[in-house]
Amino acid sequence: MSSGTGIDTAIYSFLKRVPTGVLWLLVVVWSLPTLGLAVNSIRERNAQRDSGWWTVFTDDAFTLDHYDVVFSASATAGLVDSLLNSFAVSIPATVIPIAIAAFAAYAFAWIDFRGRKWLFIATVATMAIPLQVALIPLLRLWNFGAHWTVPFLDKTITIIPDFNLVNTTNAVWLTHTGFALPFAIFLLHNYISGLPKDLFEAARIDGADHFTIFRKLILPLSIPVLAAFAIFQFLWTWNDYLIANTMAGTNPDAIVTTIRIANLAGDFGRNEHLLPAAAFVQAFFPIVVFFSLQRYFVRGILAGSVKG
Amino acid sequence: MQNAIITADHIGKIIDTLILIVVAVGASAALWVTANLLFNQVRSNWVRFNALIGYAVGFLLLLILQGNRLLKANGPDGSSITELGELLWTPFFGGFLFAAVAYVLSTTNNVNQRLWIGAGSGLALGLIIGARLAEQAQPQLEILTLLISTIVFGGIGAAIAVLRGRQYQPTLVVGSAIGAFIGGFGLPKVGNTYAAPVGAAQEPSESAATELVLLSSGSVWEAIITTGIVGALFGAWVGLMKNAGVVGRARIDAKSRAVIFLTPAMTFLTIAIVTPTLITIWLSLKDNESVRFVWFENYGTVFTDRDSFDVSNWTSIFTSRLFWLGIIIGAAGLLIGLTIRRRTGSGFTAGGPAFFPLAIAIVFVVFAAVSVLRGTFMNNVWWVFAVTLFSTGLGLAIAVLADRAKLESVAKSIIFMPMAISLVGASIIWRFVYTARDTSKSQTGVLNAIWVQLGKWSTGEGLLNLLGTILVWVLVLVAITSIARCLTARQYDKLPIRVLTVLFLGWIAIRFTFDGIGGFRTNSAGVLVPDTIDFVQDPPFNNFWLLLILIWIQTGFAMVILSAAIKAVPTELIEAAKVDGATESQVFWRVTLPQISTTIGVVVTATIVSVMKVYDIIKVVTNGNFGTQVLANDMFQEAFQFSNPEIGATLAVILFLSLLPIMILNIRRMQKEV
Repeated sequence: MSSGTGIDTAIYSFLKRVPTGVLWLLVVVWSLPTLGLAVNSIRERNAQRDSGWWTVFTDDAFTLDHYDVVFSASATAGLVDSLLNSFAVSIPATVIPIAIAAFAAYAFAWIDFRGRKWLFIATVATMAIPLQVALIPLLRLWNFGAHWTVPFLDKTITIIPDFNLVNTTNAVWLTHTGFALPFAIFLLHNYISGLPKDLFEAARIDGADHFTIFRKLILPLSIPVLAAFAIFQFLWTWNDYLIANTMAGTNPDAIVTTIRIANLAGDFGRNEHLLPAAAFVQAFFPIVVFFSLQRYFVRGILAGSVKG
Repeated sequence: MQNAIITADHIGKIIDTLILIVVAVGASAALWVTANLLFNQVRSNWVRFNALIGYAVGFLLLLILQGNRLLKANGPDGSSITELGELLWTPFFGGFLFAAVAYVLSTTNNVNQRLWIGAGSGLALGLIIGARLAEQAQPQLEILTLLISTIVFGGIGAAIAVLRGRQYQPTLVVGSAIGAFIGGFGLPKVGNTYAAPVGAAQEPSESAATELVLLSSGSVWEAIITTGIVGALFGAWVGLMKNAGVVGRARIDAKSRAVIFLTPAMTFLTIAIVTPTLITIWLSLKDNESVRFVWFENYGTVFTDRDSFDVSNWTSIFTSRLFWLGIIIGAAGLLIGLTIRRRTGSGFTAGGPAFFPLAIAIVFVVFAAVSVLRGTFMNNVWWVFAVTLFSTGLGLAIAVLADRAKLESVAKSIIFMPMAISLVGASIIWRFVYTARDTSKSQTGVLNAIWVQLGKWSTGEGLLNLLGTILVWVLVLVAITSIARCLTARQYDKLPIRVLTVLFLGWIAIRFTFDGIGGFRTNSAGVLVPDTIDFVQDPPFNNFWLLLILIWIQTGFAMVILSAAIKAVPTELIEAAKVDGATESQVFWRVTLPQISTTIGVVVTATIVSVMKVYDIIKVVTNGNFGTQVLANDMFQEAFQFSNPEIGATLAVILFLSLLPIMILNIRRMQKEV
């Protein structure tokens, strides 16, 4: 590949390095938006409004006031309430589906019963249903409970009483739990059904019942997949906006961080200067998870890629 | 900091939440473990198991009755004690009666004894419950109805058993029991029936109930007789069952485990997904008040609505520069492909000479089309097409570039990081990037700052402008040299993309040198002034700037998956190709790409699914204004803001149906992997 004159070769050795240059250019482009937000979150209000974040080296207008406000009890911009709500949603919405899905995955993998295959296919098939389809009836369920008027007899039966769930964080995590299950069952079933069969047969011969096998064999062995799912589900629920907004968006006492910062963004620029700090606090936990547990995080995202 | 971060209010809230979660989780877990321990008794202690099951059945039955206020209150004078005590008192003590019956039954194996004990104690329990039934639950006894119903249902039960080749007695009895229940409570009037006296005020008042006239009512005796019959029949049914032997116990054990392990999941799935889906489909077929059936009228409304589908402007596609550019490039690509095919037999291979011109042409034409045909559906098409194509393409490019590069993991981490940020957070980040300010002030958004600066630079005078001019022409020259290189090395397959690059760079260079390029315009006085782009509010291309946010996020996802796939391609394959004299790009297009094609399919389908449902970005940045509406946001607004649940349901079903083929594909592939 070395035909041609000197200048030709020089240009070509330059062109050969272009791909690496393009890669790092993309990396810079990718990080600039976030970087800009980070810089703006520690600049004074007027500096933010009047000049771009890239002038930061010349205007010397640093302040941590915005973070003070974000962590204060401010009714419009305080994030503490919503952070607590986010935890009140994310923790149960992570722990409960894991437990329930683990039971079901075990049953599908290792308990013989009639119709097992079809029930499993039906369960997995519910992954095809997008969240939006269930929103209206679910909101009504949390609002009024479920009642059914028996045809011909004209008598109304209460199937699920009204627990007064609407506009609470409980409605949010209950919805998350329901929608996490098909995927969680599928993922855990994949893993649990792949465990060696001899293990279970030996345990059964020793007289262990299913409950004991589940507790003493399955749970300890499935820690990796449980961790991957937990990380995925935590980030999913922490970053969710649609379910939280539908189920509890109008109650100021129950809104989560994503709704809080979206509301901040929507109030005609009055609190625009607080937005970068607030957005950063909201993103703090996911980013910590990202950088500290990156391997599990990637595994979780990859596994979650098939989720509907 | 002056203000305390955590106030007493917060502490109270945390404690409340914690208590609720601990109680809810603890109670459910306790219930689940208890169920397991209970069914452990099947194999170890049959009698104890029966007694416990008896207690559980009695407890649940009485709890349901008490919870629906169908039993009399327990306190003195019929007033209630505390609410919870009231609810649990009867089930707690009543359960022991059922437990005793179950215990006695399980200790005897004599068929006749079991039948009489069952029927007798069932009768006794029925009489007791009947005596405790609250006034509103006392039925009017219609002997004939009761008899006919009992006989009919008993007959049905027996017939089913005979048809299935089983013993007829148990189903006969249980059928009669169900029949007796329906004949006793379902068909006749239950409770006191009132009617408003003629001439009474119609408006509801607190004393309205007392003004009503008693038409008819059941009595305690009627209640006792009815429940007695029902109880005796159910008791007889239980008595007819045999005590399970060793094999039977093992079967009960296995079956019960499946039920116990699956019930929590199935309950949630039914309540949260299956039933709501059916209800939504049902709602989409009814009118605004969900009263009248309108069949597919709502779908018609949605599809004929100008906001969801607006093709009125389609002729302006012929004045679109993007469209003609696409057509020209596409025609050139087609020509190249056909020529090569005539010579070699295969002209349209991935990475071949015709590949990039055709790809670019498709992008241009589709963009031109969706920017002319407007509406919610077209926006969704635009989103799906652009985000899927660009995030997969860019992700693949970065995965290839980063492969074996120095500091590979750092580069990949940074590209992947947006995945960790919420869509709301990402939208806010990009809103700042897109900020456009009055041109008399300095720009704070990166893109407009660059754009305006470029305008000033290219239209300006002096050394800076000269340097810029030199730079763009040097770039053109480098690109032309690379064409020359291709010609001398006879690598004609790389030619088309390079020619396109030269044309593009040349156009920029000419604009830069003569007219100027970037954010400027000539005002009415004929003076050049800076000009900004309102990325968020200028239709139709604001859609593109919005979907760029999702590309920013999804590229990392595509990159990570594709990078893993590329690393999994066997090195022997690549080495063999290189030994055969393939160049780097030939190795990529002909060896690596076919190897990872399945993974690309995974990425594409996963991206399509998440793009179709995009909601957060639109909601935060434009809320569907400025011609950026998409399905999911439209659905939310119609259902929860404009009180049009039927339209919201219709849009949700359309979303569901449009995703269904892809999801079926996905699920089938996943099951093959298992």
